[in-house]
Amino acid sequence: MTPAERRYMSSDELRAVGSVAWRKDGVAKVTGAEQYAPDIALSRMWYARVLRSPHAHARITRIDTSVAEALGAVCLTFADIPKVKYNERIVSTPPHLYRDRYVLADKARHVGEAVAAVAAPTEALAEKALRAIKVDYEPLQTILNAEDSMRSGAEPIHASVRLGDAEIPIENNVAVTRSIQVGDIDKGFAESEFVIEREFTTHPIYHAQMETKSVVCRPEPDEAITVWATAQSIHNVRQLLGEIYSIPLHKVNVRRVALGGTFGSSIQVNSVIPICVGLALRALRPVKLVSTREEDMYDHVRYPTNIRLRLGLKRDGTLVAGHMRAIVDIGAHNIQAFPFLGVLAGFWASLYRLPHMKYEGRAVYTNRTPSCAMQGFGAPQVTFAVESLMDEIAHELGMDPIDLKLKNYVGLGGTFWGHGPTVQSIVRSDGVPELVGLGAKKIGWKERPRPGSQTGRYRRGIGMARGFHTSGVGHPKATGAEMIDYSGAFVKINEDGSVDVVQSLMDHGGGTLEAIAKIVADELGVPLEKVGLSPVDTRTTVYDVTTHATRGVYAGGAAAQKAARKAKAILLDYASRLLGVLPEALVIEPDVRLGQGVIHCPSLADRRITVGAVAKACQVNSWGTIAAVESLRQVNCPPAYVTYFVEVEVDTDTGNVRTRRAAIGSDCGTVVNPDLAAGQLTGGLSKGAGYALIEDCRWDAQTGELLSRGFWIDGKTPSVSESPLLEDVHTDFAKTYEPSGPFGAKGLGEASTNPCAGAYANALYNALGVRFYELPVTPEKILAALQRKEPAYDARDERRTAVAPAR
Amino acid sequence: MKPRVIHLTVNGEQREVSVSPNDLLLNVIREQEHLTGTKYGCGIGECGGCTVHIDGQPMLSCLVLAVAVDGRAIVTIEGLARNRQLDPVQEAFLDHSAVQCGFCTPGMIMMSRALLNENPRPTEHEVREFLRGCLCRCTGYVSIVRAVLAAAERGAGGEERS
Amino acid sequence: MYIATNTHILVAEFDYVEPTTLEEVFWHLSEHGPQARLIAGGTDLLVQMKMERKNPACLISLARVLELQGMTSNSGLTVGATASIRSLARSEPIGRHYTALAEACNAFSTIPIMVMATLGGNLCNASPAADTAPPLLAFDASVALVSRAGQRVVPLEDFFLGPGQTALRHDEVLRSVHLAESVRGAGSAFVKVARVAADISQVCAAVRVVRDGDHVIDCRIALGAVAPTPVRAHRAEAFLTGQRPDRGRVDDAARIAGEDTKPITDVRATQEYRRHASRVIVRDALTTAWLRAGGRELK
Repeated sequence: MTPAERRYMSSDELRAVGSVAWRKDGVAKVTGAEQYAPDIALSRMWYARVLRSPHAHARITRIDTSVAEALGAVCLTFADIPKVKYNERIVSTPPHLYRDRYVLADKARHVGEAVAAVAAPTEALAEKALRAIKVDYEPLQTILNAEDSMRSGAEPIHASVRLGDAEIPIENNVAVTRSIQVGDIDKGFAESEFVIEREFTTHPIYHAQMETKSVVCRPEPDEAITVWATAQSIHNVRQLLGEIYSIPLHKVNVRRVALGGTFGSSIQVNSVIPICVGLALRALRPVKLVSTREEDMYDHVRYPTNIRLRLGLKRDGTLVAGHMRAIVDIGAHNIQAFPFLGVLAGFWASLYRLPHMKYEGRAVYTNRTPSCAMQGFGAPQVTFAVESLMDEIAHELGMDPIDLKLKNYVGLGGTFWGHGPTVQSIVRSDGVPELVGLGAKKIGWKERPRPGSQTGRYRRGIGMARGFHTSGVGHPKATGAEMIDYSGAFVKINEDGSVDVVQSLMDHGGGTLEAIAKIVADELGVPLEKVGLSPVDTRTTVYDVTTHATRGVYAGGAAAQKAARKAKAILLDYASRLLGVLPEALVIEPDVRLGQGVIHCPSLADRRITVGAVAKACQVNSWGTIAAVESLRQVNCPPAYVTYFVEVEVDTDTGNVRTRRAAIGSDCGTVVNPDLAAGQLTGGLSKGAGYALIEDCRWDAQTGELLSRGFWIDGKTPSVSESPLLEDVHTDFAKTYEPSGPFGAKGLGEASTNPCAGAYANALYNALGVRFYELPVTPEKILAALQRKEPAYDARDERRTAVAPAR
Repeated sequence: MKPRVIHLTVNGEQREVSVSPNDLLLNVIREQEHLTGTKYGCGIGECGGCTVHIDGQPMLSCLVLAVAVDGRAIVTIEGLARNRQLDPVQEAFLDHSAVQCGFCTPGMIMMSRALLNENPRPTEHEVREFLRGCLCRCTGYVSIVRAVLAAAERGAGGEERS
Repeated sequence: MYIATNTHILVAEFDYVEPTTLEEVFWHLSEHGPQARLIAGGTDLLVQMKMERKNPACLISLARVLELQGMTSNSGLTVGATASIRSLARSEPIGRHYTALAEACNAFSTIPIMVMATLGGNLCNASPAADTAPPLLAFDASVALVSRAGQRVVPLEDFFLGPGQTALRHDEVLRSVHLAESVRGAGSAFVKVARVAADISQVCAAVRVVRDGDHVIDCRIALGAVAPTPVRAHRAEAFLTGQRPDRGRVDDAARIAGEDTKPITDVRATQEYRRHASRVIVRDALTTAWLRAGGRELK
């Protein structure tokens, strides 16, 4: 343990980690000054619009842009773009990167696919020009579900895609498959005394981030480009643009702007970014492209899954064997199907110990909006299935679900598959028992009703589910990785003792960068207010893979800590010259009165100097700047555990469900931002409740159009009215310390929503005595289920004819 | 569709702008007045991101024609703080960490300010009723409701400075 | 067929005029013909235009026409067409005498929409799901339609002709809405079912009952989002009128009201769900209205 860690552990009141302060971007955000990509405005700037396919599946036989050009617009079509087939999410290593798209479509594969684009001096003119483009389509068979897509004779959506250096054929529209086996499931099921199999269906939902995907590109005089874009990694935007447009990377500068929420939908370089760059390069002037909400809704959804899960146990509740078959509808493009199939297996294997397991996953193309990561990346789906089934098993075996889960869960010392089969680490911090105990107490678990015992109109139920997310995708192997995972940081101590942190890490808003500032402050021993987060771009920062996989604090924070530690060594070295004391004998602590860090020797009271005085002396004596740059890969991926207890109230007459209470517990190791961490949990509840009960994306079976047409009237997400009252939401944090994380911290963000849908399904079972295997659990489905369960109740209400049967 | 000149008071300043009948107030604020704190979220009045005050009333600038507000007083999120002194609602949002990605924040604060203008001591129920049109995907609303109640507690109610 | 819209701007091009008197409005209506449309709050029309469902050549704003504003009590209540939904939601007399209308206005979408949207706009838009329509039907509302030729008063029930279709001629303006005088022993209620609170109704219902002792002596039941127009449930009204309500009778009346609905399936709800939920909310609204009328707890 470093001195700084010891200092943290001794609960120094001066520490920044664990303190609450106004966030550094806070004043900008509450005054409207913060700049997001759509807020960038440049002189001579033109506006872009994208022409999108009205067909779900069609060949494009001709595009005529002459009228649009005559209106004064610059146009871009497939003929004009570099014929570089790419994958927009360059987080997987090249051998695992399935590349199936171009900047503009060679063939329309979903309604809303970008076919051409225009730029013009005003948005109104761009719109006019866009509508003047004539496209001839030859419609093809539209395929809107995975089953139809795999049927022999179905129209191929992609004949072939690129993988590595090879063009590989796509058979039966199956984009990729993965099979994983551990032990021998035949033996395992033979040894099992209780076997159960259920099918779970999860649906696609829209990310509903507030900011629509936006980009501004300015061509520079030296053939370079500067880009402002909605992105979870500015470096990946740079690298992909360099690859597509053959621009050397030092001439592609992507600047960080604030993100108006992404929830995973900008891990990939969003499709509008290379389009806007193509237009700017043709127009030779700055071009701005702000997606309309309706375009954005046609651009990305959460992966829908069909999961068939079979589990075998001993009578005492010990899990023995499991078999999971998953079919994933990936929509029109393969953004990250290979890792997705991997994490379904990995998250499953990491929930509960399974000596014998078999997993078979298939990812299938359809003519729908492309599926992509959304908070939890596979965990919300698989956790819903596993936690529902574990609850059902517990009731079948006559056990308390909590006991069954604690008996089998992967905890301290267990092997955690952070991100699929190739990313594994040993669990070294585990707050699960503590959190389960806390949540059970707050929600009144022991006093919950007996399932199905209530008869009145309004029925309450309590449900519990647990889960986690990985903290990053670090793993110990030297080569052969599926995923890139490292961060870098540059830390500089200024001549007045303040500190610049120059790091390309992105903050979704959850407080990742606040955490970075706190970690650097504590590592250096300077007050938090003396640490500045620099505005950054790709030219002045080292690589950071992307803020995904709940890695921001754990991996990005560790990189910043490493750079700060190195800068501190330099600082102490110079201080030792000035104080005449060995560097090893010096410590740094923030001094509230001086408002900066003070270096002193505990054994020699008179040897004291401020950080600023050392830095100034370095300058005056021309010794150099105190600074360090580092990159870091975490070699672990500790689980960020979360437990959910929710209480629902069901109106059995309308089928409406109200969330009455929730108790959410998080084990994120050391809590770096207590206030924002609680906000992550309550945000996870709201999004999880939306996923479980309300939100859905549906497409017209004939045309492939979104039934909502992209209007937010019909893509409802929960508002404040749907959330419980203040006093009914509890958030708790386990008192754990993750040895591999910065100051004991691990991840939090995505975990905060993962078990939520499972908790709702179990609460509904508790209230109604009915299991729900398909999300979302809408009022219609609840009424149908009651109809099946309580015929007497039906007769009174004639529900037999009143409600469409659910599956 | 001839452009016409309209006169507005924007955050206390007299402005004269040339607009077409189909120009939306949102885009005039953002592109002509360069006040980009007011956000486009959905374009159809469903998210609350574009909320501004028009003659003291909270309205959705994505559904207001600029020509229709000739002679009116507009206050945007940029108009709440004066001389770097934050409005108590803004302070409360920071104190209670009611800001995450921040994209809904301007609309949320403008609505909260409007609420406290007409009801200086709202109950939690009244806060929820008033803010139900502002979507936030990050916070789950808990910290936001807490911030508004705290601002009221602090006596942030009453008429806004203008 | 898919239409690539752009809600970021208003793509449509149109003239915009802002008359200050009804006489000027009539002049503009005749000048611009059927291609002109009246605009009040704009919360619906501008959305329809952004969705490219409507494309008027001229917008005639009613925002500054004084004759359309205000609220007056005169053997009932007369509400100017451009009164905002929020002003109705906050009106003390409406809350007291026309409770169902106040409830509908308070449940109307969101606060900024309530501030901007007008009562006349909500009616002229003629959405089958218009939240103010069922309570107004329950209060025997009529609308005053004015043109150069004069004024005609149309019962609200005859005003709605179909989705987006009303009895308003293109040279006419809806001037005001008149609600019948509240009577002793009356009670009313509005109930709405929606996916989330700030949403268009999946179904909504308003009920007004007049009580004499233990009997219902008059009754209005109206529903929204269950037919091409907001509708009265006449058969259920007749069933209950003159009765001593108990739970069974209220249930039966609600069942009859539900049977008479002709809902559709759309993105918000299935036809089956709407029919079922109609029955539930009519029952709930009847029960609440009866209690508000001073009636005893139903047995």
